[in-house]
Amino acid sequence: MPYLGGEEAQRELRRALSNPHVQADPARYRGAVLRVIRLMAQGVDVSGLFPEMVKAGAVPDVVQKKLVSFYVRSQAPRQPQLALLAVNSLRKDCAHPSPAVRGLALRTMCGLRCGGARGTAGCPRPRCPADVRLPSRRMPGIQEYLQQPLVSGLRDKASYVRRVAVLGCAKMVKLQGDCEVDGALVNELYSLLRDQDPIVVVNCLRALEEILKKEGGVVINKPIAHHLLNRMPDLDQWGQSEVLTFLLRYKPRSEDELFDILNLLDGYLKSSSPSVVMAATKLFLVLAREYPDVQTDVLVRVKGPLLSVCTSESRELCFTALCHVRQILRTLPGHFSSHYKKFFCSYSEPHYIKCQKMEVLCELVNDENVQQVLEELKGYCTDVSVELAQGAIFAIANIARTYTEQCVGILTELLGLQQEHITSAVVRAFRDLAWLCPQCTDAVCQALPGCEDTIQDSEGKQALVWLLGTHGEKIPNAPYVLEDFVENVKSETFPAVKMELLTALLRLFLARPAECQDMLGRLLYYCIEEEQDMAVRDRGLFYYRLLQSGVEEVKRVLCSPKSDPSLGLLGDQSKQPVNAWAWEFNTLATVYGRERWALATAQQPVEPSYSCSPYADSRNRDTVLEVHPGTPVSEGNKELLKAHPDAGSLSLIPNVSLTAEQFEKTWLSLDTSCQLSLPWCGLVHADTIQTALRVVHIQTIAMSKAGAQPWKAYLSAQHDSGCLFLTELLHEAADSELQISVKQNEAKPEALQSFISTLRTVLEAVAGLES
Amino acid sequence: MAASALFILDLKGKPLISRNYKGDVGLGEIENFMGVLQQREEEGTLTPVLTYGHVHFLWIKHSNLYLVATTKKNGNASLVFSFLYKVVEVFCEYFKELEEESVRDNFVIVYELLDELMDFGFPQTTDSKIPAGVSVGRGLWGGWGPAQSPPPVMEGPPLRYITQEGNKLDTGRSRVPTTVTNAVSWRSEGIRYKKNEVFIDVIEAVNLLVSASGSVVLSEVLGTIKLKVFLSGMPELRLGLNDRVLFELTGRGKNKSVELEDVKFHQCVRLSRFDNDRTISFIPPDGDFELMSYRLHTQVKPLIWIESIIEKFSHSRVEIMVKAKGQFKKQSVANGVEISVPVPSDADSPKFKTSVGSARYLPERNVVIWSIKSFPGGKEHLMRAHFGLPSVEKEEEEGRPPIAVRFEIPYFTVSGIQVRYMKIIEKSGYQALPWVRYITQSGDYQIRTN
Repeated sequence: MPYLGGEEAQRELRRALSNPHVQADPARYRGAVLRVIRLMAQGVDVSGLFPEMVKAGAVPDVVQKKLVSFYVRSQAPRQPQLALLAVNSLRKDCAHPSPAVRGLALRTMCGLRCGGARGTAGCPRPRCPADVRLPSRRMPGIQEYLQQPLVSGLRDKASYVRRVAVLGCAKMVKLQGDCEVDGALVNELYSLLRDQDPIVVVNCLRALEEILKKEGGVVINKPIAHHLLNRMPDLDQWGQSEVLTFLLRYKPRSEDELFDILNLLDGYLKSSSPSVVMAATKLFLVLAREYPDVQTDVLVRVKGPLLSVCTSESRELCFTALCHVRQILRTLPGHFSSHYKKFFCSYSEPHYIKCQKMEVLCELVNDENVQQVLEELKGYCTDVSVELAQGAIFAIANIARTYTEQCVGILTELLGLQQEHITSAVVRAFRDLAWLCPQCTDAVCQALPGCEDTIQDSEGKQALVWLLGTHGEKIPNAPYVLEDFVENVKSETFPAVKMELLTALLRLFLARPAECQDMLGRLLYYCIEEEQDMAVRDRGLFYYRLLQSGVEEVKRVLCSPKSDPSLGLLGDQSKQPVNAWAWEFNTLATVYGRERWALATAQQPVEPSYSCSPYADSRNRDTVLEVHPGTPVSEGNKELLKAHPDAGSLSLIPNVSLTAEQFEKTWLSLDTSCQLSLPWCGLVHADTIQTALRVVHIQTIAMSKAGAQPWKAYLSAQHDSGCLFLTELLHEAADSELQISVKQNEAKPEALQSFISTLRTVLEAVAGLES
Repeated sequence: MAASALFILDLKGKPLISRNYKGDVGLGEIENFMGVLQQREEEGTLTPVLTYGHVHFLWIKHSNLYLVATTKKNGNASLVFSFLYKVVEVFCEYFKELEEESVRDNFVIVYELLDELMDFGFPQTTDSKIPAGVSVGRGLWGGWGPAQSPPPVMEGPPLRYITQEGNKLDTGRSRVPTTVTNAVSWRSEGIRYKKNEVFIDVIEAVNLLVSASGSVVLSEVLGTIKLKVFLSGMPELRLGLNDRVLFELTGRGKNKSVELEDVKFHQCVRLSRFDNDRTISFIPPDGDFELMSYRLHTQVKPLIWIESIIEKFSHSRVEIMVKAKGQFKKQSVANGVEISVPVPSDADSPKFKTSVGSARYLPERNVVIWSIKSFPGGKEHLMRAHFGLPSVEKEEEEGRPPIAVRFEIPYFTVSGIQVRYMKIIEKSGYQALPWVRYITQSGDYQIRTN
């Protein structure tokens, strides 16, 4: 919204800028330029001053050049014809004796093309259409002007200019769009990896990654990997984190080399920068994927650094670290037990940190610290924040699965406070406990009387009614409490409570018919004759008719088990192997938690998966799995597969048709690129494997009959770059291992790596299902 | 890849500064940020990472500003958060306070700095000596060109990992070929000072958490050694501490020494040498930096012990009695002691009585602050406070904030760490003076109340 007088101001500024007296006085000239920028910041359209401003950039004053550069970058999209004007003087600046000016000119020039998509200096108004217009259609000729200064920028003697030029190359290629990538440029960038300046080196990696993303990004071969390892000490924390991430795709040729690398990088596990610690940990876990002992050792070594991030002053870093601690605890439950006090909440901490800490406390509790942890959690139960208090109660309930007696004691004590939200949460916790740990049912039943007066919310009422119905024979006054509910059913606002009430009363009727018969009649009458909610009415009718068919029939239908202790055990068994999450370590997926990450990214349409890093982006693969609902896979199987998106984004082409003959021919002509074996117990269920593989677009060409010895299968898959993967699975009766050999028709180590990890994930998932 | 775009928003979510580095996330996306934030806040599920559609927002809050980085990738959260904090740090160096006003006043420098800090979504130079200077006339464009300093020699660190077969690698030296690298990225050539000096600050912060029943729940000491370096050329520094491991190595076990845990160094320190023989040797950056940090888990006696009785008589009054005891050496003195005691938010008409120092009531924070300028060790002091309460009680319940204590004890460290020497060697052979200062501070020092 150009404010009043904008035009007037513009006219005046134009006069000032073109006044030779002003131009002769550097201070006044700069002042005029500054005023233009200020106006621009206020949202005034100052694009009309473009020629004058470009001219103002041709002075020796560096500061003024910078100001003009702002102006030019943000205004070029509105003045595409005039932008070429600026290019001319910028090109001149590229030969300026000062490296700062050369760098600035280069960056400005690359920024011109990105102009529209870039931020407009001081004009933060995203709704302005000029800001979001697509850049690539503008100024078609600029490439020729850009190329030469960039190439000489790459060879500039000042590192500052080289840094700018290297990233400038990536910007240029990005804007060229579909054009062929210039091989000479790529080579030049690869050779600049040997540059003296550490930031130039890292920028080269970043630029190459961007330029070559269609081919899977920058290639990290042995010489490059070793070179980067040697340069690590010179880099700053950003560079170190990124190089550690790039090294993820390097596969050491031998065990010795692998351990040399680990030894060389060991210090970074204890870096003072949290992002370097995290990146190093991930690299170690991934490189040592074949050595579980080393992985455990690594996790022990980063314990200290992780703990200090968990107590760091930056809440966000603290939160991130806590999320990672939880991830580690899922594999090594006792890992942080001796440091449990570090996870006690402080009064001023934000809610999200307290919640994470409580979750961590639940997971690291053991015989030694359970007393103190419970004492601490008990303190949180009376917090003024309802969410926190309830969170603490559920945390205690979680611990109750293992330390039942103590926890039920604490929870019972809390009922004495007669606080609405506390009682509700405790009763809900009791319901779950009665279901999971039947041994505590008696204690729970004793604690219940009196709760009905304090509970107001739907969830709490449902839980209470369920408990009264299911364990009513142990609670003397159960019928009377339920009677109160029946009396007040007309004013009950939650249909879910009424449904629960119907079921509970019918169950209790079976146990204590004399006390319940009358009110059951009244409830049924109400539900059928007066209730407005259809679901409740239907449930009422259903029970009415069920009762007509006799008590035996009712018992058969309603007397389901009252507990399922096996469920509680299942939860404990979910110890994940490190390899299931190593690839997700240090990404948003871990911060979100796997389930929520899948949710957060689920609605996204499938993008062509040219992800920046072939591994970092597990999102795409998730989607690939989910957009084929027609695939015939059993539910459990699918769940498992979805839960293991650790392989990164590997895009295999669905429905590749390869005949058995073609397969055989190719198979025989190729050398094995990779061999590995997986632990495998028992027989191979061919159908399960076949369907599971189909989900990730791996076709089964041929397979032995189930039970055949040795059992063999041949698989094929095609990467979206055209590369074929041929695989043989071999299982011999005597072995408890599944041998896997993979061949590929093009040498693509990264693709191979991610293919293998996908294959592993699937096979491990299937193995997990069967054992 | 770190961030597609960076935004600085005011508290209402209006962008003050938008800098789109990459162009793959539209600038308009930021308009969704505030909505998501408020919604999650209402649900009680606010986290530092928020997602709207394809875009992930990683945000921090600093005074009355939100700093938001956006990305579409499954990126590296700790890197982005570290970077945002770095941005705050750099801005603070330039205009003291980073807040809405200073951003508005200095938006040109803000953009200029953002240009230098990040390019195409990747962090670039982030040390505070970034050459920016529209109106700040500091070190404009100094020290360019490739540095030609001698390379730090790379040595293989000692063995740690054993291969699966249990074979140790035969040599400590790495088989990864070492190349000759040069340039110390953290120090440029040609630095000159008239007077060559190094200031060493040994700072120990005490974190303490005492339960309402008076037992120590958590106590730890975080130590940092900070250096201010004003040295010419490319000096080689060596720092000697009374490190227990070193003393045991060299057979001086009987001397007073300190066991350091979880030691972390600035990247300039040669870790391999420290691992080999515990020598802390380095070429320092110029100016201020944190050389190392360590941690002490050994339980120490709380330096200032607090006992409190807070009695609330509903509808009439609150009586507070706080006793503070200095549990450190008699020769030392704690300075600037501030004990903040929570009071109910509806309290009124305060009355205080203190045996030493002064107390004042801060109604906006619902605390009484008892300040004692100097508090010698071994002494015990008392404060009483009396507040009236309205006869009509407030509806909502209040939390129970802890009593917090702030203090500083100069010339004293909890751990007993000592700088034994600081050797400074430069090829021009100048004499340089090292200065050492010890100080113990309160960190997160809290006593819970009933």
